[in-house]
Amino acid sequence: MSSRIPCRTEAIVLKTLDYGESDLIVTFYTREYGKIRGIAKGARRSKKRFVNALEPFSCSAINFSRKNPDHLDFIEGCDVAFHFQEIRSDLEKTLIASYFLDLIDQFTPEHKKSEASFQLLYDFLVLLEKKKTSASLLHLFELRLLRIAGYDPVLDGCISCRQPLNAGRGYRFDSVRGGVICSGCKPSDADAIPVSLGTVKTLLMGKEMEIENLGRLLFTAQAAEESRRILSHFIRHILGHELKSLRVLNEINRLQR
Amino acid sequence: MSGYAIPIKNLIAEFSKFPGIGEKTAARLANHVLRSSGEEVRVFTESLLDVKRKIRFCSVCFNLAEGERCDVCADSRRDQSTICVVEDPDSLIAIEASGEYRGVYHVLHGVISPLDGIGPDRLKIAELLERVARQPVQEVILATNPDTSGESTALLISRLLRERNVKVSRIAFGVPMGGDLRYTDKMTLARSLEFRRTA
Ligand SMILES: [Zn+2]
Ligand SMILES: [Zn+2]
Repeated sequence: MSSRIPCRTEAIVLKTLDYGESDLIVTFYTREYGKIRGIAKGARRSKKRFVNALEPFSCSAINFSRKNPDHLDFIEGCDVAFHFQEIRSDLEKTLIASYFLDLIDQFTPEHKKSEASFQLLYDFLVLLEKKKTSASLLHLFELRLLRIAGYDPVLDGCISCRQPLNAGRGYRFDSVRGGVICSGCKPSDADAIPVSLGTVKTLLMGKEMEIENLGRLLFTAQAAEESRRILSHFIRHILGHELKSLRVLNEINRLQR
Repeated sequence: MSGYAIPIKNLIAEFSKFPGIGEKTAARLANHVLRSSGEEVRVFTESLLDVKRKIRFCSVCFNLAEGERCDVCADSRRDQSTICVVEDPDSLIAIEASGEYRGVYHVLHGVISPLDGIGPDRLKIAELLERVARQPVQEVILATNPDTSGESTALLISRLLRERNVKVSRIAFGVPMGGDLRYTDKMTLARSLEFRRTA
Protein backbone atom coordinates (compact mmCIF):
# COMPACT_ATOMS: atom_id res chain seq x y z
CA MET A 1 0.00 0.00 0.00
CA SER A 2 1.43 3.34 -0.99
CA SER A 3 1.81 5.81 1.84
CA ARG A 4 -0.25 8.92 2.30
CA ILE A 5 1.41 12.23 3.03
CA PRO A 6 -0.11 14.18 5.95
CA CYS A 7 -0.81 17.86 5.23
CA ARG A 8 -2.19 20.78 7.22
CA THR A 9 -3.37 24.13 5.91
CA GLU A 10 -5.91 26.93 6.32
CA ALA A 11 -8.95 26.23 4.18
CA ILE A 12 -12.31 27.71 3.22
CA VAL A 13 -15.14 25.39 2.16
CA LEU A 14 -16.33 26.16 -1.38
CA LYS A 15 -18.90 23.40 -1.75
CA THR A 16 -19.87 19.92 -0.65
CA LEU A 17 -21.40 16.94 -2.36
CA ASP A 18 -23.14 14.02 -0.64
CA TYR A 19 -21.32 10.80 -1.33
CA GLY A 20 -22.53 7.34 -0.48
CA GLU A 21 -24.48 6.77 2.73
CA SER A 22 -22.63 9.07 5.06
CA ASP A 23 -19.62 10.66 3.34
CA LEU A 24 -19.08 14.11 1.89
CA ILE A 25 -16.85 15.22 -0.94
CA VAL A 26 -15.66 18.69 -0.02
CA THR A 27 -14.04 21.29 -2.26
CA PHE A 28 -11.79 23.64 -0.29
CA TYR A 29 -9.79 26.67 -1.26
CA THR A 30 -6.59 26.40 0.76
CA ARG A 31 -3.75 28.75 1.48
CA GLU A 32 -1.00 26.24 0.80
CA TYR A 33 -2.38 23.94 -1.88
CA GLY A 34 -4.89 26.04 -3.86
CA LYS A 35 -8.18 24.35 -4.66
CA ILE A 36 -8.41 20.76 -3.44
CA ARG A 37 -11.11 18.12 -3.25
CA GLY A 38 -11.24 15.62 -0.47
CA ILE A 39 -13.47 13.01 1.03
CA ALA A 40 -14.67 13.39 4.62
CA LYS A 41 -15.60 9.90 5.77
CA GLY A 42 -18.74 9.66 7.86
CA ALA A 43 -19.15 13.44 7.89
CA ARG A 44 -22.91 13.35 7.38
CA ARG A 45 -23.50 10.99 10.23
CA SER A 46 -20.94 11.65 12.92
CA LYS A 47 -21.18 15.31 13.84
CA LYS A 48 -18.32 15.17 16.32
CA ARG A 49 -15.29 15.13 14.08
CA PHE A 50 -16.44 17.81 11.66
CA VAL A 51 -18.88 19.94 13.72
CA ASN A 52 -19.88 22.96 11.64
CA ALA A 53 -16.61 22.75 9.74
CA LEU A 54 -17.92 21.56 6.40
CA GLU A 55 -20.52 24.22 5.71
CA PRO A 56 -19.93 26.62 2.80
CA PHE A 57 -17.50 29.47 3.63
CA SER A 58 -16.50 27.99 6.99
CA CYS A 59 -12.82 28.68 7.49
CA SER A 60 -10.72 26.16 9.37
CA ALA A 61 -7.35 24.58 9.76
CA ILE A 62 -7.71 21.20 8.07
CA ASN A 63 -5.67 18.02 8.29
CA PHE A 64 -5.72 15.87 5.21
CA SER A 65 -3.63 13.13 3.72
CA ARG A 66 -2.70 12.76 0.11
CA LYS A 67 -1.64 9.83 -2.00
CA ASN A 68 -1.23 11.84 -5.18
CA PRO A 69 -3.22 14.64 -6.78
CA ASP A 70 -5.09 12.17 -9.03
CA HIS A 71 -6.78 10.63 -5.99
CA LEU A 72 -9.22 12.38 -3.70
CA ASP A 73 -7.50 13.66 -0.59
CA PHE A 74 -8.61 12.24 2.74
CA ILE A 75 -9.96 14.86 5.13
CA GLU A 76 -8.87 13.75 8.60
CA GLY A 77 -10.15 16.63 10.70
CA CYS A 78 -10.90 20.34 10.92
CA ASP A 79 -10.50 23.02 13.58
CA VAL A 80 -12.96 25.77 12.78
CA ALA A 81 -11.37 29.21 12.92
CA PHE A 82 -14.22 31.35 11.58
CA HIS A 83 -17.77 30.29 11.14
CA PHE A 84 -19.03 33.69 9.85
CA GLN A 85 -22.20 33.70 11.92
CA GLU A 86 -23.25 37.19 10.80
CA ILE A 87 -23.14 36.14 7.16
CA ARG A 88 -25.20 33.03 7.91
CA SER A 89 -27.94 34.92 9.71
CA ASP A 90 -28.41 37.37 6.81
CA LEU A 91 -29.85 36.15 3.53
CA GLU A 92 -28.25 38.83 1.37
CA LYS A 93 -24.83 38.28 2.91
CA THR A 94 -25.18 34.53 2.45
CA LEU A 95 -26.01 35.01 -1.22
CA ILE A 96 -23.06 37.35 -1.79
CA ALA A 97 -20.69 34.98 0.04
CA SER A 98 -22.00 32.12 -2.13
CA TYR A 99 -21.25 34.21 -5.21
CA PHE A 100 -17.67 34.77 -3.95
CA LEU A 101 -17.24 31.01 -3.53
CA ASP A 102 -18.68 30.34 -6.98
CA LEU A 103 -16.34 32.89 -8.60
CA ILE A 104 -13.28 31.46 -6.84
CA ASP A 105 -14.33 27.96 -7.88
CA GLN A 106 -14.83 29.01 -11.51
CA PHE A 107 -11.63 31.02 -11.85
CA THR A 108 -9.16 28.67 -10.15
CA PRO A 109 -7.85 25.32 -11.36
CA GLU A 110 -7.33 22.46 -8.89
CA HIS A 111 -3.96 22.04 -7.19
CA LYS A 112 -2.56 25.41 -8.22
CA LYS A 113 -1.46 27.40 -5.20
CA SER A 114 -2.46 31.07 -5.14
CA GLU A 115 -2.07 32.76 -1.81
CA ALA A 116 -3.49 35.95 -3.34
CA SER A 117 -6.74 34.16 -4.18
CA PHE A 118 -7.00 32.67 -0.70
CA GLN A 119 -6.29 36.01 0.97
CA LEU A 120 -8.82 37.78 -1.27
CA LEU A 121 -11.58 35.34 -0.36
CA TYR A 122 -10.68 35.43 3.31
CA ASP A 123 -10.49 39.25 3.47
CA PHE A 124 -13.80 39.73 1.70
CA LEU A 125 -15.59 37.20 3.88
CA VAL A 126 -14.32 39.09 6.93
CA LEU A 127 -15.50 42.40 5.41
CA LEU A 128 -18.88 40.89 4.64
CA GLU A 129 -19.14 39.57 8.20
CA LYS A 130 -18.35 42.96 9.74
CA LYS A 131 -19.78 45.58 7.39
CA LYS A 132 -23.20 46.43 6.09
CA THR A 133 -23.79 44.75 2.76
CA SER A 134 -23.24 46.97 -0.23
CA ALA A 135 -22.94 46.57 -3.96
CA SER A 136 -19.40 47.91 -3.78
CA LEU A 137 -18.13 44.87 -1.89
CA LEU A 138 -19.45 42.50 -4.53
CA HIS A 139 -17.99 44.45 -7.46
CA LEU A 140 -14.65 45.06 -5.79
CA PHE A 141 -14.33 41.33 -5.23
CA GLU A 142 -15.08 40.66 -8.90
CA LEU A 143 -12.54 43.27 -9.95
CA ARG A 144 -9.77 41.99 -7.72
CA LEU A 145 -10.34 38.37 -8.60
CA LEU A 146 -10.24 39.25 -12.31
CA ARG A 147 -6.84 40.83 -11.75
CA ILE A 148 -5.45 37.81 -9.88
CA ALA A 149 -6.82 35.48 -12.56
CA GLY A 150 -5.08 37.47 -15.30
CA TYR A 151 -8.09 39.33 -16.68
CA ASP A 152 -7.40 42.73 -15.12
CA PRO A 153 -9.75 45.06 -17.04
CA VAL A 154 -8.17 48.19 -18.52
CA LEU A 155 -9.89 51.18 -16.89
CA ASP A 156 -7.32 54.01 -16.90
CA GLY A 157 -7.73 54.89 -20.57
CA CYS A 158 -9.12 53.72 -23.90
CA ILE A 159 -8.01 50.15 -24.60
CA SER A 160 -7.78 50.93 -28.32
CA CYS A 161 -6.21 54.37 -28.83
CA ARG A 162 -4.55 54.40 -25.36
CA GLN A 163 -5.71 57.99 -24.71
CA PRO A 164 -6.12 58.60 -20.95
CA LEU A 165 -9.64 59.07 -19.54
CA ASN A 166 -11.10 62.31 -20.81
CA ALA A 167 -14.31 64.00 -19.62
CA GLY A 168 -15.01 65.12 -23.20
CA ARG A 169 -15.54 61.56 -24.40
CA GLY A 170 -18.12 58.84 -23.88
CA TYR A 171 -17.02 55.35 -22.90
CA ARG A 172 -18.23 51.81 -23.29
CA PHE A 173 -16.95 48.57 -21.80
CA ASP A 174 -15.65 46.15 -24.40
CA SER A 175 -15.72 42.60 -22.95
CA VAL A 176 -13.93 41.07 -25.94
CA ARG A 177 -10.88 43.30 -25.49
CA GLY A 178 -11.27 43.57 -21.73
CA GLY A 179 -11.43 47.29 -21.01
CA VAL A 180 -13.09 50.63 -21.63
CA ILE A 181 -13.13 52.02 -25.14
CA CYS A 182 -13.70 55.66 -26.09
CA SER A 183 -16.40 57.00 -28.38
CA GLY A 184 -13.75 57.69 -31.04
CA CYS A 185 -12.78 54.01 -31.41
CA LYS A 186 -14.73 51.03 -32.73
CA PRO A 187 -15.33 48.26 -30.12
CA SER A 188 -14.71 44.57 -30.94
CA ASP A 189 -17.66 43.68 -28.71
CA ALA A 190 -20.97 44.17 -30.55
CA ASP A 191 -22.68 44.39 -27.14
CA ALA A 192 -20.25 46.88 -25.59
CA ILE A 193 -22.01 48.54 -22.64
CA PRO A 194 -22.03 52.32 -22.11
CA VAL A 195 -20.39 53.32 -18.85
CA SER A 196 -20.05 56.74 -17.22
CA LEU A 197 -16.68 58.25 -16.41
CA GLY A 198 -17.69 58.42 -12.74
CA THR A 199 -18.21 54.66 -12.58
CA VAL A 200 -14.89 53.96 -14.28
CA LYS A 201 -13.11 56.22 -11.80
CA THR A 202 -14.85 54.59 -8.83
CA LEU A 203 -13.78 51.14 -10.02
CA LEU A 204 -10.22 52.35 -10.64
CA MET A 205 -10.05 53.66 -7.10
CA GLY A 206 -11.49 50.49 -5.64
CA LYS A 207 -9.00 48.35 -7.51
CA GLU A 208 -6.01 49.98 -5.86
CA MET A 209 -7.38 50.80 -2.42
CA GLU A 210 -6.04 49.09 0.71
CA ILE A 211 -8.38 46.40 1.96
CA GLU A 212 -8.92 48.16 5.32
CA ASN A 213 -10.31 51.23 3.53
CA LEU A 214 -12.65 49.41 1.18
CA GLY A 215 -15.59 49.67 3.54
CA ARG A 216 -15.45 53.45 3.12
CA LEU A 217 -15.72 53.46 -0.67
CA LEU A 218 -19.33 54.16 -1.52
CA PHE A 219 -20.82 53.51 -4.92
CA THR A 220 -23.55 55.80 -6.21
CA ALA A 221 -26.70 54.03 -7.40
CA GLN A 222 -25.55 54.68 -10.96
CA ALA A 223 -22.03 53.32 -10.32
CA ALA A 224 -23.50 50.22 -8.69
CA GLU A 225 -25.86 49.53 -11.57
CA GLU A 226 -23.23 50.17 -14.28
CA SER A 227 -20.62 48.09 -12.46
CA ARG A 228 -23.09 45.25 -12.12
CA ARG A 229 -23.82 45.33 -15.84
CA ILE A 230 -20.27 45.58 -17.15
CA LEU A 231 -18.64 43.17 -14.70
CA SER A 232 -21.25 40.42 -15.00
CA HIS A 233 -21.12 40.81 -18.78
CA PHE A 234 -17.31 40.60 -18.76
CA ILE A 235 -17.28 37.57 -16.44
CA ARG A 236 -19.88 35.79 -18.54
CA HIS A 237 -17.79 36.52 -21.63
CA ILE A 238 -14.65 35.01 -20.00
CA LEU A 239 -16.34 31.91 -18.55
CA GLY A 240 -18.71 31.37 -21.45
CA HIS A 241 -21.72 31.01 -19.14
CA GLU A 242 -23.59 32.80 -16.40
CA LEU A 243 -22.78 31.83 -12.83
CA LYS A 244 -25.54 29.83 -11.15
CA SER A 245 -25.11 31.65 -7.86
CA LEU A 246 -25.55 35.01 -9.60
CA ARG A 247 -28.74 33.82 -11.24
CA VAL A 248 -30.12 32.74 -7.85
CA LEU A 249 -29.02 36.03 -6.27
CA ASN A 250 -30.83 38.03 -8.97
CA GLU A 251 -33.90 35.79 -8.73
CA ILE A 252 -34.18 36.39 -4.99
CA ASN A 253 -33.60 40.13 -5.34
CA ARG A 254 -36.44 40.31 -7.86
CA LEU A 255 -38.72 38.35 -5.54
CA GLN A 256 -38.21 40.76 -2.68
CA ARG A 257 -38.77 43.90 -4.69
CA MET B 1 -17.64 -5.82 -14.38
CA SER B 2 -16.06 -7.85 -17.18
CA GLY B 3 -17.07 -11.49 -17.18
CA TYR B 4 -20.74 -10.81 -16.46
CA ALA B 5 -23.37 -11.62 -19.04
CA ILE B 6 -24.99 -8.55 -20.58
CA PRO B 7 -28.37 -8.76 -18.71
CA ILE B 8 -26.49 -8.86 -15.39
CA LYS B 9 -24.25 -5.99 -16.47
CA ASN B 10 -27.36 -3.97 -17.27
CA LEU B 11 -28.88 -4.72 -13.89
CA ILE B 12 -25.66 -3.75 -12.10
CA ALA B 13 -25.60 -0.51 -14.08
CA GLU B 14 -29.19 0.25 -13.01
CA PHE B 15 -28.50 -0.44 -9.33
CA SER B 16 -25.40 1.77 -9.52
CA LYS B 17 -27.64 4.74 -10.30
CA PHE B 18 -29.18 4.56 -6.82
CA PRO B 19 -27.82 7.03 -4.26
CA GLY B 20 -25.11 5.55 -2.09
CA ILE B 21 -24.71 2.42 -4.21
CA GLY B 22 -21.25 1.72 -5.58
CA GLU B 23 -20.44 -0.89 -8.20
CA LYS B 24 -19.57 -3.59 -5.66
CA THR B 25 -22.83 -3.19 -3.78
CA ALA B 26 -24.69 -3.08 -7.11
CA ALA B 27 -23.12 -6.41 -8.08
CA ARG B 28 -24.17 -7.91 -4.73
CA LEU B 29 -27.75 -6.72 -5.26
CA ALA B 30 -27.79 -8.08 -8.81
CA ASN B 31 -26.59 -11.46 -7.54
CA HIS B 32 -29.36 -11.42 -4.97
CA VAL B 33 -31.92 -10.87 -7.72
CA LEU B 34 -30.35 -13.72 -9.67
CA ARG B 35 -30.82 -16.10 -6.74
CA SER B 36 -34.39 -14.95 -5.98
CA SER B 37 -37.42 -16.89 -7.21
CA GLY B 38 -39.42 -15.67 -10.20
CA GLU B 39 -42.30 -14.77 -7.89
CA GLU B 40 -40.08 -12.69 -5.58
CA VAL B 41 -38.74 -10.76 -8.55
CA ARG B 42 -42.27 -10.19 -9.86
CA VAL B 43 -43.42 -8.73 -6.52
CA PHE B 44 -40.34 -6.50 -6.46
CA THR B 45 -40.87 -5.13 -9.97
CA GLU B 46 -44.59 -4.61 -9.26
CA SER B 47 -43.78 -2.56 -6.16
CA LEU B 48 -41.34 -0.45 -8.17
CA LEU B 49 -44.00 0.22 -10.80
CA ASP B 50 -46.64 0.87 -8.12
CA VAL B 51 -44.57 3.69 -6.66
CA LYS B 52 -44.54 5.45 -10.00
CA ARG B 53 -48.18 4.65 -10.82
CA LYS B 54 -49.85 5.37 -7.49
CA ILE B 55 -47.79 7.93 -5.63
CA ARG B 56 -48.20 11.57 -6.43
CA PHE B 57 -47.91 14.89 -4.61
CA CYS B 58 -50.63 15.99 -2.22
CA SER B 59 -52.48 18.88 -3.84
CA VAL B 60 -52.36 20.87 -0.60
CA CYS B 61 -48.94 20.30 0.96
CA PHE B 62 -46.90 18.41 -1.69
CA ASN B 63 -46.25 15.50 0.62
CA LEU B 64 -46.26 12.11 -1.08
CA ALA B 65 -49.83 10.89 -1.35
CA GLU B 66 -51.81 8.00 -2.72
CA GLY B 67 -54.83 10.10 -3.59
CA GLU B 68 -55.61 13.77 -4.02
CA ARG B 69 -54.62 14.52 -0.43
CA CYS B 70 -51.96 13.01 1.83
CA ASP B 71 -52.81 11.23 5.09
CA VAL B 72 -51.95 14.29 7.19
CA CYS B 73 -54.07 16.75 5.18
CA ALA B 74 -56.96 14.27 5.07
CA ASP B 75 -56.94 13.86 8.86
CA SER B 76 -59.65 16.16 10.30
CA ARG B 77 -58.04 16.07 13.76
CA ARG B 78 -54.96 17.93 12.53
CA ASP B 79 -54.80 21.67 13.12
CA GLN B 80 -55.03 23.16 9.62
CA SER B 81 -54.07 26.64 10.82
CA THR B 82 -50.49 25.64 11.72
CA ILE B 83 -48.18 24.81 8.83
CA CYS B 84 -44.77 23.25 9.34
CA VAL B 85 -42.48 23.87 6.34
CA VAL B 86 -40.00 21.06 5.60
CA GLU B 87 -37.41 20.41 2.91
CA ASP B 88 -38.54 16.96 1.84
CA PRO B 89 -40.90 14.08 2.70
CA ASP B 90 -38.14 12.41 4.75
CA SER B 91 -38.04 15.39 7.12
CA LEU B 92 -41.82 15.23 7.42
CA ILE B 93 -41.63 11.57 8.38
CA ALA B 94 -38.93 12.37 10.94
CA ILE B 95 -41.13 15.03 12.58
CA GLU B 96 -44.19 12.76 12.49
CA ALA B 97 -42.13 10.11 14.30
CA SER B 98 -41.47 12.58 17.11
CA GLY B 99 -45.22 12.38 17.83
CA GLU B 100 -45.28 15.97 19.09
CA TYR B 101 -46.76 17.81 16.18
CA ARG B 102 -50.50 18.27 15.56
CA GLY B 103 -50.53 20.75 12.68
CA VAL B 104 -50.11 20.19 8.94
CA TYR B 105 -47.10 20.50 6.62
CA HIS B 106 -45.77 22.12 3.50
CA VAL B 107 -43.06 20.24 1.62
CA LEU B 108 -40.69 22.48 -0.36
CA HIS B 109 -38.93 19.69 -2.25
CA GLY B 110 -35.52 21.22 -1.84
CA VAL B 111 -33.70 24.21 -0.39
CA ILE B 112 -32.01 27.26 -1.81
CA SER B 113 -28.55 26.32 -3.02
CA PRO B 114 -26.91 29.11 -5.02
CA LEU B 115 -23.93 27.05 -6.18
CA ASP B 116 -26.23 24.37 -7.57
CA GLY B 117 -28.39 27.02 -9.21
CA ILE B 118 -31.38 26.16 -7.02
CA GLY B 119 -33.40 29.28 -6.31
CA PRO B 120 -36.95 29.81 -5.01
CA ASP B 121 -38.45 29.09 -8.45
CA ARG B 122 -37.39 25.46 -8.11
CA LEU B 123 -39.10 25.07 -4.72
CA LYS B 124 -42.75 25.09 -3.64
CA ILE B 125 -42.43 28.58 -2.13
CA ALA B 126 -44.94 30.37 -4.37
CA GLU B 127 -47.41 27.60 -3.49
CA LEU B 128 -46.82 28.21 0.21
CA LEU B 129 -47.50 31.95 -0.15
CA GLU B 130 -50.67 31.16 -2.08
CA ARG B 131 -51.80 28.75 0.60
CA VAL B 132 -51.25 31.31 3.35
CA ALA B 133 -53.19 33.90 1.35
CA ARG B 134 -56.06 31.52 0.66
CA GLN B 135 -56.78 29.82 3.95
CA PRO B 136 -56.75 31.08 7.55
CA VAL B 137 -53.24 30.29 8.81
CA GLN B 138 -52.13 31.37 12.26
CA GLU B 139 -48.59 30.10 12.32
CA VAL B 140 -45.92 28.94 9.90
CA ILE B 141 -43.11 26.94 11.50
CA LEU B 142 -39.91 26.85 9.45
CA ALA B 143 -38.35 23.43 9.92
CA THR B 144 -35.70 23.42 7.21
CA ASN B 145 -32.38 21.89 8.29
CA PRO B 146 -30.11 24.10 10.39
CA ASP B 147 -27.38 24.23 7.72
CA THR B 148 -26.48 27.05 5.31
CA SER B 149 -29.09 26.15 2.67
CA GLY B 150 -31.86 25.43 5.17
CA GLU B 151 -31.12 28.66 7.02
CA SER B 152 -31.16 30.74 3.79
CA THR B 153 -34.46 29.19 2.81
CA ALA B 154 -35.95 29.95 6.23
CA LEU B 155 -34.69 33.55 6.08
CA LEU B 156 -36.26 34.04 2.66
CA ILE B 157 -39.64 32.56 3.59
CA SER B 158 -39.83 34.54 6.81
CA ARG B 159 -39.10 37.71 4.85
CA LEU B 160 -41.73 36.90 2.23
CA LEU B 161 -44.31 36.24 4.96
CA ARG B 162 -43.46 39.37 6.94
CA GLU B 163 -46.25 41.44 5.41
CA ARG B 164 -48.85 38.73 5.97
CA ASN B 165 -50.88 38.50 9.14
CA VAL B 166 -49.27 35.26 10.30
CA LYS B 167 -46.85 34.26 13.03
CA VAL B 168 -43.61 32.87 11.60
CA SER B 169 -41.36 30.76 13.80
CA ARG B 170 -38.18 28.75 13.34
CA ILE B 171 -37.57 25.42 15.03
CA ALA B 172 -35.17 25.71 17.94
CA PHE B 173 -31.68 24.46 17.34
CA GLY B 174 -31.57 21.45 19.53
CA VAL B 175 -30.28 20.10 16.24
CA PRO B 176 -26.61 21.05 15.70
CA MET B 177 -25.57 23.44 12.89
CA GLY B 178 -24.60 21.47 9.83
CA GLY B 179 -26.93 18.71 10.97
CA ASP B 180 -29.47 16.67 9.09
CA LEU B 181 -32.99 15.93 10.30
CA ARG B 182 -32.82 12.38 9.01
CA TYR B 183 -30.08 11.55 11.49
CA THR B 184 -31.50 13.34 14.51
CA ASP B 185 -33.00 11.45 17.45
CA LYS B 186 -36.70 11.81 18.23
CA MET B 187 -36.23 13.59 21.53
CA THR B 188 -34.09 16.34 20.01
CA LEU B 189 -36.68 16.81 17.27
CA ALA B 190 -39.54 16.98 19.76
CA ARG B 191 -37.66 19.59 21.81
CA SER B 192 -36.84 21.57 18.70
CA LEU B 193 -40.52 21.94 17.98
CA GLU B 194 -41.40 22.75 21.58
CA PHE B 195 -38.81 25.55 21.80
CA ARG B 196 -39.33 27.12 18.40
CA ARG B 197 -38.78 30.87 18.19
CA THR B 198 -40.09 33.74 16.05
CA ALA B 199 -38.08 34.19 12.85
ZN1 LIG C 1 -10.07 55.29 -28.11
ZN1 LIG D 1 -50.92 17.03 2.30
